Amino acid sequence: MIIVKNLSFSYGKAQVLRNVSFTAERGELLAVLGPNGVGKSTLFRCILGLAKPQSGEIFLDGERVSSIRPNDLAHKLAYVPQSHAPTFNYSVFDMALMGTTAQVGGLSSPGAAQIKLVNEALERVGILALKNRGYLEISGGERQLTLIARALAQKADTLVLDEPTSNLDYGNQLKVLAQAKELANSGYTVIQSTHNPDQAALFADRVLALKGGTVRALGSSEILTDELIGELYDIDLSALKLYRR
Amino acid sequence: MKKYTLIVIILGVLVALGIVLSFALGRYPISVEALLEIVRGGGTSTQRALFFNVRLPRILLACMVGCSISAAGASYQGVFQNPMAAPDILGASSGAAAGASVAILLQFSGRGIMLTAFAASLATIALVMAVSKAARGNKLLGIILAGIMVSSLANAVTSFVKIVADPYNTLPEITFWLLGSLKKTNLSDVPLAALPMAIGLIPLLLLRWRINLLTLSDSEARTMGVNASRTRVIVIVCATLITAASVAVSGLIGWVGLVIPHLTRRLVGNNFRHLLPASMLGGALFLLLVDDISRNLLVTEIPLGILTSVVGAPFFLWLITRKREEY
Repeated sequence: MIIVKNLSFSYGKAQVLRNVSFTAERGELLAVLGPNGVGKSTLFRCILGLAKPQSGEIFLDGERVSSIRPNDLAHKLAYVPQSHAPTFNYSVFDMALMGTTAQVGGLSSPGAAQIKLVNEALERVGILALKNRGYLEISGGERQLTLIARALAQKADTLVLDEPTSNLDYGNQLKVLAQAKELANSGYTVIQSTHNPDQAALFADRVLALKGGTVRALGSSEILTDELIGELYDIDLSALKLYRR
Repeated sequence: MKKYTLIVIILGVLVALGIVLSFALGRYPISVEALLEIVRGGGTSTQRALFFNVRLPRILLACMVGCSISAAGASYQGVFQNPMAAPDILGASSGAAAGASVAILLQFSGRGIMLTAFAASLATIALVMAVSKAARGNKLLGIILAGIMVSSLANAVTSFVKIVADPYNTLPEITFWLLGSLKKTNLSDVPLAALPMAIGLIPLLLLRWRINLLTLSDSEARTMGVNASRTRVIVIVCATLITAASVAVSGLIGWVGLVIPHLTRRLVGNNFRHLLPASMLGGALFLLLVDDISRNLLVTEIPLGILTSVVGAPFFLWLITRKREEY
């Protein structure tokens, strides 16, 4: 469970987040919704302990995130970045194996227990058949699933997914979202950012809508009215006549 | 048996065979029977002198330098997320060259030249790291740019020394040093080079799994429990130490640090857990064989730097024109 209390963050004079408070329960998929540049990534950086908020507190299962050592935090909290293209073409298996680094000592390599974990994680997200393929040779959706498997192999029970569908086609978006949802149903705490209200409506248990760095609305997907979406994205949905709800 | 284990065993056997071959080859060939005799304490005094004072140090140093330069190249490639990075990317070689040139100009002894080159190489990297620490923006880019600038400064020193050096005496010696050779090494150089190489190689071998995570973004590595900037500094310092030690004994030897890790990537993949040991063996084998060519092909020795370029450049061209594969 993650509790964020009165979180404020600014880069120099530019305030990015103002008094953000919310809770993500165990077994819940919380979608953080808002247009690009609203502060979703900054919020995630704070939660992951990568950025220091000017004020406010973040608790992970009752512990203050800022007081957990990075190696210990890795056992509790895993980050799934947007699928990327690293310089070197690691195998899918090696890429996922990197998630187990915190489980082994600083001077050793992952062993049999970690290899087993990775095989299970790849199996769970349905890409075990790709384990020997190069990470740069598979599709964007498969890469994203590899990164999710890496987070599972990390053995953390809270997952932070940063726009996991942003570079994917429709089918792959649904695959990744369904995977995130399945993980939440099985007991993981999942926080996922998205700029797409449709995705939030489809898969999220609850939605946190951000506007101008503050929480505009928080609740089940029923809060996603035309008015709210219009306000978040600065458009007039009724005038566009696109959506029939 | 896993492919990696097999490849490491094959490389190990090839290095062992290469060592025997290198003892046998030379202006005065020694037969394998005579080699066995020498190892058992026999042989003529000429053979024994040749074996222990001439060939043994060269063979050991060729293996050590090849192993170190390849390990440094592979490590730099990971740290800088750049498959084109070579051990001299930060100016370790240029610094050593400047130090050696000055030392030769000042008529230092062979040992003095070696130690000056080593010290100058480390000083160059220290300067690069200090400059990059003050640089704003992208840290990796900062280090690389600082490396280019400081290298160019060191090259200016070398060029100036060459201009003022005595053209009949000192200049040829500087030129020969810059082209790289193991000709002037002796047995007492071995432990002297082995110490810094061991100090650098052992942490690299221990940390080699974590070097993988440096090829991702720093934030990503940190969320997996790895302090990327600290690990990166340790790897750079270790890789620099072994490069400096290598360049100090052998002079400038190009290409090995780039070509060998690349070839090894094709064999065992990109995982540093396998890549680093395999690169070390491959580098040792390669430089051992190149040194054999260097002292056997012509009546006069061919500098190693010339040979590694002659072998390395076409090989690399072949590599990049093959079926496109990601690194």
